[in-house]
Amino acid sequence: MKRKLFKGLKYLVLLVTSLLSLFPLLWMFVSATNTSVDILTGRLLPGSHLAENFRNLLAKADVGRALWNSLRNASVATIASLVVCSIAGYGFEVYHDKGKDFLMRILLLSMMIPFAAIMIPLFMMFGRADLLSTTTAFVLPTVSTAFLIFLFRQSARYFPKDIIEAARIEGMGELGIFFKMYVPIMRSTYATAAIITFMGAWNSYLWPLIIMQEPESITMPLLISNLIAGYVTDYGALMLAVAISVLPTIVIFLALQQNFAEGIISSMK
Amino acid sequence: MKKSVSLLLVLIMVFAVGSNLVLAQTDEVTITVWCWDPAFNIYAMEEAAKIYKEIAPNVKINIVETPWDDVQTKLTTAVMAGQTGTLPDILLMQDNALTKNVTNFPGTFVDLTDSGIDFTQFADFKVAHTTVDGRNYAVPFDNGAAINALRLDILEEAGYTLDDFKDITWTEYIEMGKDILAKTGKPLLTNVADSPDQIMAMLQSAGVWMFDEDGDVFIAENDVLKEIVEIYVEMVKSGVLVQVNDWEQYISTINRGTAAGTINGCWIIGSIVGQADQKGLWGITNIPRLERAANASNYSNQGGSSWVVLSSSKQADVAIDFLAHTFAGSVELYETILPSSGALATYLPAGDSDVYNEPHEFFAGQRVYADITDFASKVPQISYGVYNYEARDAVGTAIAQILAGADMNSALQEAEETVKFLMGP
Amino acid sequence: MERVLKLRRRQNIIGWGFVLPASLMIFIFYFYPIARAFVLSFQTGVGVNLKYAGLFNYQRLLADNLFKKSLGNVFIFLIIQVPIMLLLALVLASLLNDKNLRFRGFFRTAIFLPCATSLVSYAIIFRSMFALDGFVNAVLTNLSLISRPINWIGQPWTARIVVVIALTWRWTGYNMIFYLAGLQNIEPSIYEAAFIDGASGFDQFFRITIPMLKPIILLTTIMSTNGTLQLFDETMNLTNGGPANATLSVSQYIYRLSFQYSPRFGYAAAISFVIFALVAVLAFIQMRVGDTR
Repeated sequence: MKRKLFKGLKYLVLLVTSLLSLFPLLWMFVSATNTSVDILTGRLLPGSHLAENFRNLLAKADVGRALWNSLRNASVATIASLVVCSIAGYGFEVYHDKGKDFLMRILLLSMMIPFAAIMIPLFMMFGRADLLSTTTAFVLPTVSTAFLIFLFRQSARYFPKDIIEAARIEGMGELGIFFKMYVPIMRSTYATAAIITFMGAWNSYLWPLIIMQEPESITMPLLISNLIAGYVTDYGALMLAVAISVLPTIVIFLALQQNFAEGIISSMK
Repeated sequence: MKKSVSLLLVLIMVFAVGSNLVLAQTDEVTITVWCWDPAFNIYAMEEAAKIYKEIAPNVKINIVETPWDDVQTKLTTAVMAGQTGTLPDILLMQDNALTKNVTNFPGTFVDLTDSGIDFTQFADFKVAHTTVDGRNYAVPFDNGAAINALRLDILEEAGYTLDDFKDITWTEYIEMGKDILAKTGKPLLTNVADSPDQIMAMLQSAGVWMFDEDGDVFIAENDVLKEIVEIYVEMVKSGVLVQVNDWEQYISTINRGTAAGTINGCWIIGSIVGQADQKGLWGITNIPRLERAANASNYSNQGGSSWVVLSSSKQADVAIDFLAHTFAGSVELYETILPSSGALATYLPAGDSDVYNEPHEFFAGQRVYADITDFASKVPQISYGVYNYEARDAVGTAIAQILAGADMNSALQEAEETVKFLMGP
Repeated sequence: MERVLKLRRRQNIIGWGFVLPASLMIFIFYFYPIARAFVLSFQTGVGVNLKYAGLFNYQRLLADNLFKKSLGNVFIFLIIQVPIMLLLALVLASLLNDKNLRFRGFFRTAIFLPCATSLVSYAIIFRSMFALDGFVNAVLTNLSLISRPINWIGQPWTARIVVVIALTWRWTGYNMIFYLAGLQNIEPSIYEAAFIDGASGFDQFFRITIPMLKPIILLTTIMSTNGTLQLFDETMNLTNGGPANATLSVSQYIYRLSFQYSPRFGYAAAISFVIFALVAVLAFIQMRVGDTR
């Protein structure tokens, strides 16, 4: 009886939390089908202006180009980050000693640097290297982050050390152990890291704003901010644009979330 | 001796200018422009490019859509990093920020005083906003003349007409506002809480700002500001003015008809006409005036921006020539952009054009553009100053404190000290 | 013996090889620019007109009411919001870690999605929900919890509450997925054994889940501390720092000093440094407490 009650309570909590979480998102999708005036006057039902909003949006902004740029930048950034940071995180844990532990703590300090404080020196570096407006410039400063390294280091703690020893006895190289043993087993961590990194790169605003000089290199967040800069905002087109900009993150989350169900234990069986 | 030297100089200059013109006629030149708002500024710039194409077919205008906040961020970053080569040839600048940028980044913008552009052709208040230490730094563009837009049907329901609101004082405004609230349940005015825009427009209507002529803070002892704060507090307390949380809710009160009117820059018309159901129900007039202030008027300004030319531009002369032939010289340009964008000029010759005298259907046939052009010619001239944004924020904070019950004098004193601190070494 | 030592040394070198590329990039793209900013923090002046003035900017900080106010605000958020959010994320993660739970994928996705929702749209809906005639007041009035509508965003403490709710709404799911990933790595047999021993769900949560997740909890605590002290998006978009600076964050103040006001980059750099030092101290305390092997 008590267990049943607990179970019912559990579903109730999860359901209420889910609905509260989804409400603003649903409102956004519904608003994408309404006119500007409907949205501002509080309409909550789906409307019939999706096609019109779409036309207006395309007339105002090059959505295709912005989507492509964002997708390319965020994908390159995510893949590069995952490779560089997971190797480092693994290294910091598996080969840990006083020196590396100390270095890790120093690296963590970089997380606490407000971006506004380093923006101008960074801009000067890339300007002098003649790399303005390039994907390299977009990606390079964000490839290695202390946060991701730390995430992989903390996760590597769950990685059974006897597996490493066993593999070494079998004559496997250190890189081999990393790629053949660690990477497949740590799928849930990689999935988490991929989602977080993709989302961060997809939404990044300030750095692309100053580093990207050409109109051709516009990204989705910049496109959205263009839509709210005028005297009169078309909220229908705006909501459609933000809805479109959220979709890739949702797709990636849905695609990767299966991995949360399979941690170390299930992978080893 | 002296004469021959100056003659030589003149010759060199003629030669230099002449050779530039030759260059301009033969080579492809691209002028990059940063500005925002496709329905307004960008559209105007595109039309200007078409007009200039007839004059100089080799010049291409490359518009990069950039919101104002981002223009400021990129400008500041480039100047601070010493990389002005990344800046465009022309950019659109908020008048509110012009003195600040020109003063803090000396040498970054071209002094246009002797460029041949005739600044007497623009509304005086606008020229005052774009002038720093007596030098002109921008070609004035859009008009932010303040209007009092009112719902004719709601006024009628309470027994008033648009004419009752013409040339009135704030006291009269509040009296009618209370009556309308009692009869219709609707406030006369709404605005965004914590935004000092309305206060600023009221200050300018009396030709007063938050700084004195020497540029020192003028808040705590500013009697005009105190009169405004008293009016503002009374409007909020009596319910004549309802404060909302954000811009979206503010536009919503207009579109839903939950308020009987709004006071803002004339560009607010763009949002009013969005609600097609209210066609014929709106009218505009000038704004109420203060009573105690010495130079009180029924005219003010809210917002607006102007074109500046960057010194880092390799073809600054072409950029100036472009502006001179379009925004500072073409009535045709302003005639073209007005009907579809509502972009009102501060270029006075355009005001005489027929297009400006057309009746506007949405405003029950009122000749709103002619009226606004008339308002604009009467707006008092002030300079916003280098520390404009600091002062706006500080006064906005003071208003919020006073509305929450704080003593007016001590709140304004605190605001003055905050601005003084921010201006300090 | 000698062979073991040689192997150790070889592994040590390989270990450095693993960590150095990433570390070097952090030094180039974070520490070099921040060193430049540190030099800048000893310069005073407006715009491009800067001159060296020793510790002047740091002294100026002590007299700066806006700085003190904004620092106080972020600490209020830190103390109230971070523990609520992390506890909630832990509870939700352990509820979702049940293999027999139905609609697991749906719940997980729904709870994660707020952090993917665009800031633009969620700011608009949050502000309208907390408007005077908004949804929240309507519900509270109907439940007879309040007699007259609350002006949420117009009063200092209620505005702070709105920011706390917004932060929790947006970031709980984000933290939850780190816990979910961590929970996958705990042997289910530990829970089964506890269940047989008669441990309640409550006991399991405090005796197994929390201790086992300690490394990840440390990670999220440092991350959230850092995120809160550098808070920008929420206060900028929901309350714009108001009313009367009651929700002004330090990052927003830095932004104003750099890009809205007459720019004072030396002074802004000094503020950045103080924040940097504060977070660093907090993080070191958290590491001391939480980073044990």
